Amino acid sequence: MNTQAIQILFLKDLFLSRWPLFGYLAGGMLSAMVTCLPGETAGFIGFILMVTVTIAAGIHLIGVLLLAETIDMTRTFVMSLPVSLLDYSIAKISVVLVAFLIPWLGMLASLTVLIFVVPEANPGVLAFLVLIFLFMLAGFCLQLVTAVVTESVGWTIVVVVLGNVLLNLFIKSLYEHPVISALAKSDVLSWPPVVLQIMAIETIVILVALGLAFMFQIRRRDLV
Amino acid sequence: MSTALNQPHQMTAAASLRGIAKSYKHFRLNNIDLEIEPGTVNGLIGPNGAGKSTIMRIMMGLVMPDQGTVSVLGQPISSREASAKQDIGYFSDDMRLYKSESIAFHMQFVRSLFPGWDEVYAQQLLDRFGLIAQQKIKGLSHGQRVKSLLLLILARRPRLLILDEPTNGLDPVAKQEVLSELMQIVNDETRTILYSSHNTQDVEQISDTITFIDRGRVIASNNRDEFLDGWRRFKLQAPQNWQAPAIDGLRPESTFGNLRVMTLDRYQAEVEDRLQSSGATLESSEAMTLEEIFVAAVLRGREEKQ
Repeated sequence: MNTQAIQILFLKDLFLSRWPLFGYLAGGMLSAMVTCLPGETAGFIGFILMVTVTIAAGIHLIGVLLLAETIDMTRTFVMSLPVSLLDYSIAKISVVLVAFLIPWLGMLASLTVLIFVVPEANPGVLAFLVLIFLFMLAGFCLQLVTAVVTESVGWTIVVVVLGNVLLNLFIKSLYEHPVISALAKSDVLSWPPVVLQIMAIETIVILVALGLAFMFQIRRRDLV
Repeated sequence: MSTALNQPHQMTAAASLRGIAKSYKHFRLNNIDLEIEPGTVNGLIGPNGAGKSTIMRIMMGLVMPDQGTVSVLGQPISSREASAKQDIGYFSDDMRLYKSESIAFHMQFVRSLFPGWDEVYAQQLLDRFGLIAQQKIKGLSHGQRVKSLLLLILARRPRLLILDEPTNGLDPVAKQEVLSELMQIVNDETRTILYSSHNTQDVEQISDTITFIDRGRVIASNNRDEFLDGWRRFKLQAPQNWQAPAIDGLRPESTFGNLRVMTLDRYQAEVEDRLQSSGATLESSEAMTLEEIFVAAVLRGREEKQ
């Protein structure tokens, strides 16, 4: 493993995605602010905007950083350099994940700050939002593994659509759960066992998906 | 120079492929043996879809063979290994740069991976190729894109250049600029070039050794001059019942009435006398161009396979 090569590839990709990243980070933070504006409508619009920004960031970054290398045939150029498949895989999966985490964390951090700063906000809602954000991260990781395995825009979009449908069902089931729905209106931030259990499942899905993405990538026999 | 594998080797090959096979749905690369000696220019000629690009991709570790071994610059190569690629410059016609970035960005990127990057030479190549470092890739013509890629390869001063159809689609001026640059590299006897093309003239211009490939098989491999000296085309006037003498490598090419056209791939001076004494009248004995030799070799290879 060549850590210097991995670092160079990682920074190159981060640089290549700089403009979409700034856009999604700014859009996400703005959406978080809208969420905390007074009134239920603003909160609803802000929430929808955040989900939209997260989904758009996911598919766009996978497209720009992963699928485009195959479609635009830039991977042949990169792999003609003194880079092993292991170096390439570590750099590629790390950078796609980090690029997604930048707006994702930006939104979550903005929400956390705003929830504790804005007097009208209920701190208890943070646990509810963390569950949704982790669900979106898990969905992104499943899109990532799909993109790595299939190298297909079509199949990746299928997983995005399925993920979107499941997200809506997930939010609905959270609202219907008595303990979790109560959290959204609570003045106190707490982490009941059911929330921790869901978070654990989401974390496992994320780790398994990332592991699979990495495994499929390094087992690839042909790179062109 | 490419050699048969049963010959003893005096030096470590720049690249060695032994028993390489690779199957795709509609194509199979069959048992490829190829040995490239250091300091030589090797041309790989074949029709489109012959397997030239697959061989080169296997040599770069971009494609894993189903069987066989590959070593390049003394090291086994696969997608798992990166060290050999430090000394290899690979160009492929279907290789692309990042279109939203400039040539300068790519120079910086490649320089960061190659400690031996020659910045002075890179700047000279920019001038010689008429490229502007700040220009974005998406604004470049095909010729400029090819030259940019070659600049990124040549400025690393690689010991082995693997060039897959580098002159494909270039206008005559751009083609000459690229070939001239390669000719200069050829003068450095420590550097080896493997050059593929379906254009025999380009390959003939710079190659010491030529390998013909067709339908996934190596059909002939030889020194360029031996190819040119060894092949002949004969035009004979012969009666209908004429039997061609048993000369190794002599094959009929075409017949028009009493006119027989025959090709030979192992020419020796006494062949004309043997043809004359067989009852035919020799009208002409012509040297063949590399393109004619290539076509004849391909057709012979296909006949033998059938």
